[in-house]
Amino acid sequence: MVKLEDVSSLLQAPTVSQKVPVRADSAYKPLHSFALDKQRSYKQQYGDMYFLRLAKIKPAVEEVASKAWEGTEIGGELAKRVDRVLDVRQGELCWVAGTVYMDMKLKPNILEDVSKDQWLSAPMSSQKYYSDDGSDQIMLEDDSGRVRLVGDLLNSIPLVTGCIVAVMGTENTNGEFEVIDLKVPDLAPQPERWAVSKTPSASGKSKSEDTDMTDSPSLTGGKKIAIVSGLSFSGTDASYDLELNLLLEYLLGEALDPDEQTNISQISRLIIAGDSISTTANKENDDEDDESKKRSQKKYGYDASAYNPLPSQLFDEFVSELLPSIPVTLLPGAQDPANASYPQQPIHTAMFPLSRAYASDPGAASTSQPGWLDTVTNPWEAEVEGWRILGTGGQNVDDVFKYVESDDRLGMMEAMCRWRCCAPTAPDTLWSYPFQEDDPFVLKSCPHVYFVGCQPEFATKVIHGPEDQAVRLIAVPSFSKTKEFVLMDTETLEVTKIKIASR
Amino acid sequence: MDDAKKYLSDRLLSEEVPVTYRLLSRVLNIRVNAAKQKLYEFHQSQNASKADSIHATYLIYGSKTEHRQPETGDTDMDKSAPEHEPLSDYAPTKTVTIVAEENLKDALAEYEEVTSFHIYSLAPFPQRDLALLSDVSKSLSDYRKIEDSAKTLDTYGIIANPQARKKDRKGRPFVPAPSASAPKSVKQEPQPTLPKPSQPEKVKHEAKEAPSAESTPSSSAGKKPPATLKRGASGGIMQSFAKAAAKPSKPKPKPEPKAKEEDTSMALSDDGEAEDEDLPASKSVDLEALKRTRKQREEELMRMMEDADDEVKEEAKKEDEQSDEEMEEASEAEPEPEPEPEPEQQPKEDKEPTEVISTSGDGRRRGKRRVMKKKRILDDQGYMVTIQEAAWESFSEDEAPPPAATKSTPASTPASSTQKSKKAAAGKSGSQGSIMSFFSKK
Repeated sequence: MVKLEDVSSLLQAPTVSQKVPVRADSAYKPLHSFALDKQRSYKQQYGDMYFLRLAKIKPAVEEVASKAWEGTEIGGELAKRVDRVLDVRQGELCWVAGTVYMDMKLKPNILEDVSKDQWLSAPMSSQKYYSDDGSDQIMLEDDSGRVRLVGDLLNSIPLVTGCIVAVMGTENTNGEFEVIDLKVPDLAPQPERWAVSKTPSASGKSKSEDTDMTDSPSLTGGKKIAIVSGLSFSGTDASYDLELNLLLEYLLGEALDPDEQTNISQISRLIIAGDSISTTANKENDDEDDESKKRSQKKYGYDASAYNPLPSQLFDEFVSELLPSIPVTLLPGAQDPANASYPQQPIHTAMFPLSRAYASDPGAASTSQPGWLDTVTNPWEAEVEGWRILGTGGQNVDDVFKYVESDDRLGMMEAMCRWRCCAPTAPDTLWSYPFQEDDPFVLKSCPHVYFVGCQPEFATKVIHGPEDQAVRLIAVPSFSKTKEFVLMDTETLEVTKIKIASR
Repeated sequence: MDDAKKYLSDRLLSEEVPVTYRLLSRVLNIRVNAAKQKLYEFHQSQNASKADSIHATYLIYGSKTEHRQPETGDTDMDKSAPEHEPLSDYAPTKTVTIVAEENLKDALAEYEEVTSFHIYSLAPFPQRDLALLSDVSKSLSDYRKIEDSAKTLDTYGIIANPQARKKDRKGRPFVPAPSASAPKSVKQEPQPTLPKPSQPEKVKHEAKEAPSAESTPSSSAGKKPPATLKRGASGGIMQSFAKAAAKPSKPKPKPEPKAKEEDTSMALSDDGEAEDEDLPASKSVDLEALKRTRKQREEELMRMMEDADDEVKEEAKKEDEQSDEEMEEASEAEPEPEPEPEPEQQPKEDKEPTEVISTSGDGRRRGKRRVMKKKRILDDQGYMVTIQEAAWESFSEDEAPPPAATKSTPASTPASSTQKSKKAAAGKSGSQGSIMSFFSKK
């Protein structure tokens, strides 16, 4: 409870001849884990992805499982390890690892489409694939075959197509596998901090610790990263323009008092996690068109005259105003002008005539230092301030969300980390590039920070793994809906939510 | 000080429009913090002489009292009882609130701690709709100077960043204007100076062409695309495709893009696009001729498609073409969208003898080619039989090009029309234009 009298002293700001704070530098090394070849082919089959994933994760999950179930005896019977799903014998207690496949009524099914000779994907009607009438089936499959999993345990553990698990149990007379216990690979080995990038010199470090001490205690001191998503610059909806302006002023350190501006200068990087541009159709414009034109346009879908360049222009202006002061990492999201399938490739800087002066030279991307405006893939992996950071534009979580009953986005993010796969539902329901040699969605190493953009609300927590891994999960809310964004301290990985309100 | 007073009274009392601290700082070239101070002083002095003549909005920053937060599930620590574990850890929330004078007390009451508090804007009337303030900030863009951004930061007291770096634009002046004219000026510059991948090719064709062509309007490299465009169109683009189908393919304008070449092409790609954007306006093309050409091409395509079994695709193609037509009529001065985020310098796979190119509005070339397809059918005994048969397969630009595409010498080109339209295509692929630029109205 603050009264006006208490703060009116703040209005008479101290002397204004203060030095302008200088932005903290950003140690930043993007890892091009999800970059695709420019000349990629789309002719290959998707099946290889499942094979690759199983091959990569199975050893891990089998290790976990054998540790847990070695010598387990139930009813005098020793649990045996079985190599292939097909080798499961009825009535024998055993355990086996494989890929989960969810058979759901509401889930689009490619086999059904093929068998019916339908080649157009049906419009997505349901928000969820999950149906609570118990008709959903969970299968475990590998390259040998498939078995249906049953058991009460499955109701308590969320599973989605494409995750790799090990199950222990027996096959019953119906040919179903009664699950007694289930194991996931759990968190992958976590690299040390500064594993890839160079540690800033000791002096730099001690300096940052100095600022820790001297800075105002209200913020926790050290360097920070701002993560925002769902800016949704729109040509039609101006209802949150003011908030966008305030966000800009906040990050530039124009708003607020000199003391706070000094704190804000510690924000060393802005990460934009998807959906920067709103492509919502412009209804009013349609009405202006004359009738005949309108009809014909509808018929042919895309019309260049219906293209509205304003959203990307506004976004460009926004980013270009930030860039002189703060480096920006830009992930594409579902709405952005990048390819629709995972992994989304960087938004081409041609979209940003103003900001692209700060982007890296496209040709020299891999060799030289990353661009000041770094347009990156989604998902995206990098080492920022030494921390391994994995971020996505949110499609992966949104898709997993459809499979499970709960609304617990953090739980889904945690599950993905424990499954060691950041997009398990690709390529089944999450559009994906048909990978042939490698499944990059498999998490070879566990990130320190895992953020997901464009989520309905802010949430964060830290999860821990068996080998003392700790992962900071952050669900970044959509700015256009919540007017919120996230600051993360790069020393403590503590997260602060910043809300912009007007009244 | 006098400047500020004068400007503020002009703007607030005479013009009656709001002023934000940012605007004031831009107008007077002072730091934002000084501008806030000036707003405050003006507000005090004006309202002292005449109460309620000026209304302020304030910006408050700090932490709110936690239980007032609507998202209690997110932030309440008390709920972390073992039986009800919160989904999210506690995270402190800072709130920036912009509030009009009238609501200031209420807004402050929600705060537990205020760390920053200043005047955001002044207006001569009570501000009910704060969204109006975003209009004020739109006018700020007039004061933006991109070239000396570092200096700008210092002038206005924005957090500076000595590490900020721009990419080397190879001497090209930066174009700040975000309007549609921006791409144009960007594009004009590099053309003569930079080795454009397609440029030599075009010139070469030009040289070869010169004796046979009836009239080459202009041989200047810069003007090239419009010229080829026009002649390609009048020569009957479809006709040439048909010829191409009968005859083995021409020299490719560009070999398989290698890593190095891609570099240059990538670096230049945006320019290429800009160039295309520029096209429609730069040259006038006989509309009627174009229409005729398209008709012709449609018929040609129809004939070729006759034997194709895929009805649906054909349908789609027709639509595509009609939409081309539509586009031409519909889009006048509308700048074309950048067709593709990553335009690829694709070798001309459309020179494959068994291909037919159609086009679509998104700037990619699409078409069909004849391939041997495995077909699986169930025979009458219920066995699955695999047969091979020729079929048309649609393809689009970013598929990998088929490996074959022999290189025959162009010396024995019989018809100049073929050569010409070929060139048109070459010019096109070089600048990554969509075929659409052929048909948009000049």
